[in-house]
Amino acid sequence: MLNVDFNKLASLINANVQGANATVNNAEDAKFDSSITVEASKIFAVCEFLKTNKEMPFNSLQCISGVDWVEFMEVCYMVAHFDTTAPREFILKVKVTDRVAPTVDSVVKVWAAANYQEREVYDMFGIKFNNHPDMRRILCPDDWQGWPLRKDYVAQKDYNGMAVYPDNKMNFEDREFIVRQDMIKKAQLAASSN
Amino acid sequence: MQDGVVLSTVDDFLNWGRKNSLWPMTFGLACCAIEMMATGMAKYDLERFGCGAFMATPRRADLMIVAGTVTLKMATRVKVLYEQMAEPKYVISMGSCANKGGPYWQHGYHVLKGVDEVVPVDVYVPGCPPRPEALIEGVMTLQKKIANERLLRNKWVKHA
Repeated sequence: MLNVDFNKLASLINANVQGANATVNNAEDAKFDSSITVEASKIFAVCEFLKTNKEMPFNSLQCISGVDWVEFMEVCYMVAHFDTTAPREFILKVKVTDRVAPTVDSVVKVWAAANYQEREVYDMFGIKFNNHPDMRRILCPDDWQGWPLRKDYVAQKDYNGMAVYPDNKMNFEDREFIVRQDMIKKAQLAASSN
Repeated sequence: MQDGVVLSTVDDFLNWGRKNSLWPMTFGLACCAIEMMATGMAKYDLERFGCGAFMATPRRADLMIVAGTVTLKMATRVKVLYEQMAEPKYVISMGSCANKGGPYWQHGYHVLKGVDEVVPVDVYVPGCPPRPEALIEGVMTLQKKIANERLLRNKWVKHA
C-alpha cells in the first residue's frame, strides 16, 4: 500500500497498545496488498492510537468491509492519511471467530465515517458493533431475517406476503451451485462447533 | 365546420379523451427512470402523445410507470402507491427488473420477481433499460387498449 512501512507500524502498535498483538500479513504477490491483523478486542484502542499518534498518524477511514472466510469472519478497515506531502493508506484487519453472536467494538468515536459502514457490515454479516450509536440494518428491511453475504445464507421463503422465490417463476435446478452447497455445509459446521 | 355534426358513441368519445390525457406518476426506481426522464424531455417528447404531465402525487395520476428494480422493501410501497391512485388506473411495467426480476431473477434475494406479483400490469416493456422509443411504443399500446375499453359497461361505473 501507499507509503507505509508495515513492520515499523506493527511494532509501533505493539509498543503503544497493550495486547494488540499486531501481525503483518505480507502479500504473496505484487498484485495483492499487505495488511496488519490485530486482536478483535483491542480494535478501538488501536484505531485511537492510529489517529492520535504523532509519528505515523492516520486521519481518515476510507471504508469498512466484512469478509466471510467460512472458517472465520473478518472485518477490514481501510485507513488513510490525507496529506499533500506524504499520503498514507493501509488495511487493518480483525478476525471474528464466533459465527453465532459475533461482536466487535465500534470505532465511531474515533472516525465518525464508521457509522454507516459498520451498519452495512452488520446488515450483511450480522456482526454487532458494541457502543455503536444506532445499530440497525441499513439496506435490508428492519424485519428481514438472516445475513445475506454470509456463505451459509439461505433466503427466507416470503416477506410481507410476497414470495421471495416464486415457484412458478424460478429455475430451481440451475439455481444452487455445488460449490455453494459445500460452503453452506462448511459454514454450518463451523457455526455448530463454536 | 360551422354547424357541423360529428357522430360518435359515448364510449368512443370518453376513451378518446382519456387516452390522450394520460397522466403518469413521477415515480422512478432505478436506471429505467433515467430513460423515462429522457422520454419526457425535448428529444423524445412524450407530450406529443398526451402523456407528458408527470404528476407528483398518485391521487392525480392515472398511469404508473414502474421504471426500475422493485426490491421487496419497495414492493410494499409500490402497492400502497397503486392503491392511492384513483380508478381507472393503469400500470406499465418498464424494463426487465420490473417485468420478471431481470438480472436479479435467479439469485437476487432482495428483488421482487416481477411487479405483477403485487399490482396488475397492463403493458410490459422489455429491455434493460428500454430505449425511449420502446417506452413510447408501450404507451401507445396502452392507448390502443384504452381506446377499445367499454367504460360505460365496465365495473368502474355504478349503474343506477
